[in-house]
Amino acid sequence: MALKGLDIFKLSPKKNCKECGSPTCMAFSMKVAQGAADINACPYFSEDAKAQLSEATAPPMKTVKVGVGENEYTLGGETVLERHEKTFVSKTRYAAAVCNCMDEATIDAKLAKIPQVDYERIGERMIVEMVYVNYAADGATDYVELVKKAAAVGRTLILGCDDVEVAKAALAVCKDAKPVLNGANAANYAEMNAVATEAGVVLGVTGSNLSEIYDTVKALEGLGNKNLVIDTTGATIKETFANTVQVRKAAIKDNDRTFGYPSIVNLAKLAKDDQHLQAALASIFTIKYGSIVVMSELTYSEALPLYGLRQNIFTDPQKPMRVEPGIYPINGADENSICLTTVDFALTYFLVSGELERSGVPVNLIISDAGGLSVLTAWAAGKLSSSTIEKFWKEADIEGKIKNRKLIIPGKVAVLKGEIEAKLPGWEIIIAPAEAVQLVKFLKDMNA
Amino acid sequence: MPFTAKSGKFNASIKPVTIGSGDKAATIGGENVLPFYSFDAEIANAPKVGIEVTDFGMEHEPECLKKYYDGCTTAADMVKKAVAFEGVDFISFRMEGGDPNGANKSTEDLMATLGEVIEAAGDMPLVICGSKNAERDAELLQKAAELAQGKNAIILAAREENYKTVGAAAGLAYNQIVGAESSVDINLAKQLNVLLTQLGVNASNVVMNVGSAAAGYGYEYVASTMQRIKAAALSQNDAQLQMPIITPVASEAWATKEASASEEDVPGWGDVESRGIDMEVETAAADLACGSNAVILKHPVSVATVSKLIKELV
Amino acid sequence: MAKFVTIGERLSTTAPAVNKAFTERDPEPILKRAKQQLDAGAVYLDVNIGPAESDGEDLMKWAVQLLQSEFDNVPLALDTSNKKAIEAGISVYNRSKGKPIVNSADAAGRIENIDLAAANDAIVIALCNGEGIAKDNDERMAFCQLLLERGLEHGMEAEDLWFDPLFLVVKGMQDKQMQILECIKMFSDMGLNSTGGLSNNSNGMPKHIRPIMDSALVAMCMMQGLTSAIVNPNDLRLMETIKSCDIFKNNTLYADSYLEI
Repeated sequence: MALKGLDIFKLSPKKNCKECGSPTCMAFSMKVAQGAADINACPYFSEDAKAQLSEATAPPMKTVKVGVGENEYTLGGETVLERHEKTFVSKTRYAAAVCNCMDEATIDAKLAKIPQVDYERIGERMIVEMVYVNYAADGATDYVELVKKAAAVGRTLILGCDDVEVAKAALAVCKDAKPVLNGANAANYAEMNAVATEAGVVLGVTGSNLSEIYDTVKALEGLGNKNLVIDTTGATIKETFANTVQVRKAAIKDNDRTFGYPSIVNLAKLAKDDQHLQAALASIFTIKYGSIVVMSELTYSEALPLYGLRQNIFTDPQKPMRVEPGIYPINGADENSICLTTVDFALTYFLVSGELERSGVPVNLIISDAGGLSVLTAWAAGKLSSSTIEKFWKEADIEGKIKNRKLIIPGKVAVLKGEIEAKLPGWEIIIAPAEAVQLVKFLKDMNA
Repeated sequence: MPFTAKSGKFNASIKPVTIGSGDKAATIGGENVLPFYSFDAEIANAPKVGIEVTDFGMEHEPECLKKYYDGCTTAADMVKKAVAFEGVDFISFRMEGGDPNGANKSTEDLMATLGEVIEAAGDMPLVICGSKNAERDAELLQKAAELAQGKNAIILAAREENYKTVGAAAGLAYNQIVGAESSVDINLAKQLNVLLTQLGVNASNVVMNVGSAAAGYGYEYVASTMQRIKAAALSQNDAQLQMPIITPVASEAWATKEASASEEDVPGWGDVESRGIDMEVETAAADLACGSNAVILKHPVSVATVSKLIKELV
Repeated sequence: MAKFVTIGERLSTTAPAVNKAFTERDPEPILKRAKQQLDAGAVYLDVNIGPAESDGEDLMKWAVQLLQSEFDNVPLALDTSNKKAIEAGISVYNRSKGKPIVNSADAAGRIENIDLAAANDAIVIALCNGEGIAKDNDERMAFCQLLLERGLEHGMEAEDLWFDPLFLVVKGMQDKQMQILECIKMFSDMGLNSTGGLSNNSNGMPKHIRPIMDSALVAMCMMQGLTSAIVNPNDLRLMETIKSCDIFKNNTLYADSYLEI
């Protein structure tokens, strides 16, 4: 539990000397409790007292690293509950699940599907980042063999295994890739802790309810292990949501550092036979505090909206998302197709490219660098003007790449028409409608 | 030591609004906690799921819907089937054809279709949506509110440009529920509610559409708008933002490339129907997690899935 | 951040009409003044019944029930030096719209009002002065520490102690005004709530000047972190200033009609 101002005040020297910059020891203690002052600003707190208070000044949620190389991911480290307060720092990571209770053909098919999802969206590579390898005591397939197979997919593993000996054997074949060992509970935590620490991997903690998890985490911390994640999956969807939110809320809002760890939410367990329900849940746990979300499978169908959503939610609220400047040929456009230009603000790009696709008309969409701002804002800030367009035309060698000399400009900056005509001799400048939704009709009419 | 969570129950709450009447009447809002935080306090009313039909009937619908609406042509045909789909809490009828930049159908034609839809919907609660053109909607929704008298329907929507006409017709003259629409602009969302109440509309007969986007398409703005509205409503007790939120998902979700690109065009992406459903349910789930009290969907499987999701969480 | 809490000061025995109504238990003038203040946007109403040594308990009960039944359990500040009257008021108080405020405790003779508030789960206004006005901020903060410690030891949450720096009159103590503002900042840095009789600054000034001085001071105080004030809510300029400052502080969400709501 976080300390209150009064608890800190009791340990304070009570000299009111002001050397820390606060008017009284009470004032200083209140500030320390809120994290607004550093305990070390007081020269008179005893080392003993400081040690007692160190927990109160630690960040609310630990940052944990799993995997190695290009498969290394950072989990946790959040400081806020909603994205508009401050940027979320560690993206939700998604895992597809296999189990030694499945037959070999099913396992092979599932593992083969994992690398299929691999694409780029606004500069980010989208893949299934993790594989959850579940252990069932009565499973027919050999667990260690399964782990080897799963490791060969080349993604970070999560070993869902609460059997100490099996876990030990499995780690022997994969520990160098820094998997998560998700298997500690109230009954086995001491042994599991030894296995995880020995292998140098993150340990996942679970329990039948929040109090049990709380005590187990405390016990593991007592053993010196703070390299943990909490598996918040409960018996039902409702319980899982409650656990996941309560754990994060306790850490961030109520400063309870025992729950200050990333979470694992296992949807494969909760909605086993309903893939669409899993998709819906994945979306909820992306917004509400899932650090790792495990699904039965992740194909393009689930991934496309989910990864888009994640990209949105984990973006900096102060910084707009941008697309790379360049030529985007739409509907099979080639060098003879008409050109249309707009800004590099991701939302504008998506709106405009979506409407262009719907029109069916081949168009070269030319995105210039406008600082990631929307059309009017960019124009007002001088980032979308005849000179920026002229500059981009040169840099990107538009005239060398495209033969067509018709350019459609955004309706909201119709005023630029004359200037652009002057700066791009030989081009016919056409004004688009003010709203993207009107583009389909506009292009169809123009083509007719 | 047992873990005891601090309660996140608020002293303020979202206003409950009932749509329709009789056995099938649906109430949204009323909660004094964040979405699905049933561990803080009981959720007064579960969020509701509507299914969307447009005046074009089957004409503009994706191929994959045909098997669910076998034998249907008109909007009314579809509504008759839709009322029986699993998880449907209300019918949402959208007059897409009213758009002057689109089919520009006559008001008489649209009202005739609406009349058939009202008939077909029976006692199922109704949401009546305009053409998205504010000027045209001033006329269309005024007539629609009149035609649907006694239905206690949501008229979606009154916007900054037409709130006087739409608000007065729906909220004052014909006793419907006014849907106040703003586009991911929290200050305007509040201002519209103030204007509607100053017009004389009872604040308990207002729901908000605060804007929507498909997952991946600027969704961060929708998420933050909704989350900030719920924070203002609950923690700051801002009465002008305590109206429940209704979010149309279908039109945004099915317009995306992910939901509509054919298997021939994007061979690696797999089944187009499944892609559409996932785009729709993932967007709707995000809306619900951020604060929507009702969502409007298109695909029957999406409706059933989201309805199940809500039942599991409430 | 929470919205600035205005405590309406117009139900006070110092006003002859109110005094008469309290004495005669005449509801009409009390309700009229209460309504004027609430319509103007007051959050809490201060009920100042004076020392009321003889019939304080009965009077406070009557006033609390009268106001809360007429105005949907409006939250109240119970303002009297008669401790028993405060307890009597709390015994009939409905807290659905907010905890009662005990007005007030200080670091001298009235420190026991902290204990009273703690025992009744009430908010208490904690005046940072002892016998007489504190001579500087060192002394104010020492009183603050004393009061805070007392409250916390009796199991109060720090947020339920609203510290009052004691606003001083400009005509006579102009050179002390910045001290008060600095003191508010110190409260705010500690994460504490604060309040006070802000209009005291303009005592003795011409009537048309007072709203201007009060508005300027409230804006400066809110910048420093003042979270509440005991004011005349029927001072339109002052209330408009508070609403505008609440927008800048992100305490309320802006809408074009923000002054009308």
